[in-house]
Amino acid sequence: MAITVNLDVMMAKRKMSLNELSEKVDLTLANLSILKTGKAKAIRFSTLESICKALDCQPGDLLEYSRQ
Amino acid sequence: MKTKKPTRTELLLTVMRILAWVAFIGFMLEAGAILVSYGVSCVNPEAAKNLYEGMDLYTLKQFSFAHYTLYVFLIFVLLIMKSFVWYLVIGTLSKINLANPFKMEVAQMLEKISYRLFAIWLVAIASSAHTAWLVKITGEHHGDWASGESIFMAGLVFIISQVFKRGVEIQSENDLTV
Repeated sequence: MAITVNLDVMMAKRKMSLNELSEKVDLTLANLSILKTGKAKAIRFSTLESICKALDCQPGDLLEYSRQ
Repeated sequence: MKTKKPTRTELLLTVMRILAWVAFIGFMLEAGAILVSYGVSCVNPEAAKNLYEGMDLYTLKQFSFAHYTLYVFLIFVLLIMKSFVWYLVIGTLSKINLANPFKMEVAQMLEKISYRLFAIWLVAIASSAHTAWLVKITGEHHGDWASGESIFMAGLVFIISQVFKRGVEIQSENDLTV
């Protein structure tokens, strides 16, 4: 897909583990894993908002568009 | 603990599953009865006078044993194919889980059913053509077992299977939405 999720990069920058993020955003580890591995087909604004809040970043820091 | 009351759809599907079993067994019994009667008629020609539920094929047997055999064979094949379709319906109904109904295997089963119905239509055409030819040659009508509505059913089930496939795609997208 042309949209890449940079969740792992932001988590590394904030030194936050998947478990910790899962607790903060109230999302299951399985769903976070789907997002992190790029298997997700769509993301809700509410999920994006809570991840941005937990990682103190902008949606653009998490999502990246690349021409294929 | 209070047990969950089944919804109307769950109830209907259970009833349909029971009916599918009844239809499957019914067609199998009918096919078996015709096969046994045919076997008996090979030994005792008088049995052809009442092959199955008053079906009198005695004159046809006297006219040509090969055509008599073909006539019975086509009826037998039609009945077996119909019972197989009902068997597929039972399989499909047992695979449907209403909490997560859109599964690829169910869509594939529906597609399979439509192909089998189309095959039934082809055999029905062959049977009708043979019956029409026999009427022309012998001047006697022995009853037409074949019906043309299976092509309509095949088309309908095929369309439903394609819509179901789109449902599977939408459900998988929904499952992968975080």
